[in-house]
Amino acid sequence: MHIMEGFLPWQWCVVWWIIAIPCLILGILQLKRVLASDREALPLLGVTGGFIFILSSLKLPSVTGSCSHPTGTGLSSICFGPWVTSVICAIVLLFQSLFLAHGGLSVLGANIVSMGIVGPLAGWAVWRTLRDTGINMYLTVFLACAIADLITYVVTSLELALAYPAEVGGFVSSFVLFLGIFAITQIPLAIVEGIVLALVFKYIVQLKPEILIRLKVFPDEKIRAAGSDA
Amino acid sequence: MWARYRLEILAIVAILCFCGIFLYSSVLLGDAEYAGSDTIGSSRVAELAGVSEEDFQPLIPQWEPPSGEIESCLFALQAAIGGIFVGWVFGYWKGQKSRSS
Repeated sequence: MHIMEGFLPWQWCVVWWIIAIPCLILGILQLKRVLASDREALPLLGVTGGFIFILSSLKLPSVTGSCSHPTGTGLSSICFGPWVTSVICAIVLLFQSLFLAHGGLSVLGANIVSMGIVGPLAGWAVWRTLRDTGINMYLTVFLACAIADLITYVVTSLELALAYPAEVGGFVSSFVLFLGIFAITQIPLAIVEGIVLALVFKYIVQLKPEILIRLKVFPDEKIRAAGSDA
Repeated sequence: MWARYRLEILAIVAILCFCGIFLYSSVLLGDAEYAGSDTIGSSRVAELAGVSEEDFQPLIPQWEPPSGEIESCLFALQAAIGGIFVGWVFGYWKGQKSRSS
């Protein structure tokens, strides 16, 4: 999902930075508030952030004959919300642009918007819709994480298509072209990521249900019922 | 017993399926390079813009890992940093739980 340094005209870099910065500021403020109000939130932040570090470094082969990496942002998004997630993503993406030449400082805003903001926001919306319904808790986590992963790549395609509309067919045909590269490759990865993060969530429920209840990640009854199974 | 480990089994099956699909499709797509989708995306951008890829110069100068080995070392470092966080916290929680019970 990284747009490479230099591959986005500076006007678009500015646009995506302008969108990213307020979200990051909001994220930093929320992060301060959560950490000040609950000491036990920090370890949970370590786990969810840790998975963003791990998963976004794994480049996996996919059915299209190309490789791509999962994002790992869904878990953090359902526990802390998309804005806090965008701050963690910004750290990961900064590491990758400084040391790995994946992405870059000018396109960092665009990459934060796709991986750190819109992807997690989509996952968060799925979770928020399903949280209080009768749908199984782990299925909800699976869907939220898989959608956060997939939408990240849809947004990358959108960003590239906006900057490079095709001569014939314009924006739409460019968008379809980039979706073919990014989103199709991502489908199997998003499914595996969703299942793995649902499993991680199960271990958090077993070890530390209190913090999930305090952060209102799921209703009390659901978490207690799942915790007592184990 | 099976019900208790349902999610673990599902995860293992999913990962095995993923590996199986990879092996099958890598035979089908004999000449696939398994390049990063980022790289492929960049070459499509160059095609759409009608210029060669070398014409895209970084807007902000950037350090690049001198070789693929160094790049994979740094990627492994990134994963390791994440792994330390995750392992440390799960151990901390496990310790807390066993002390309280």
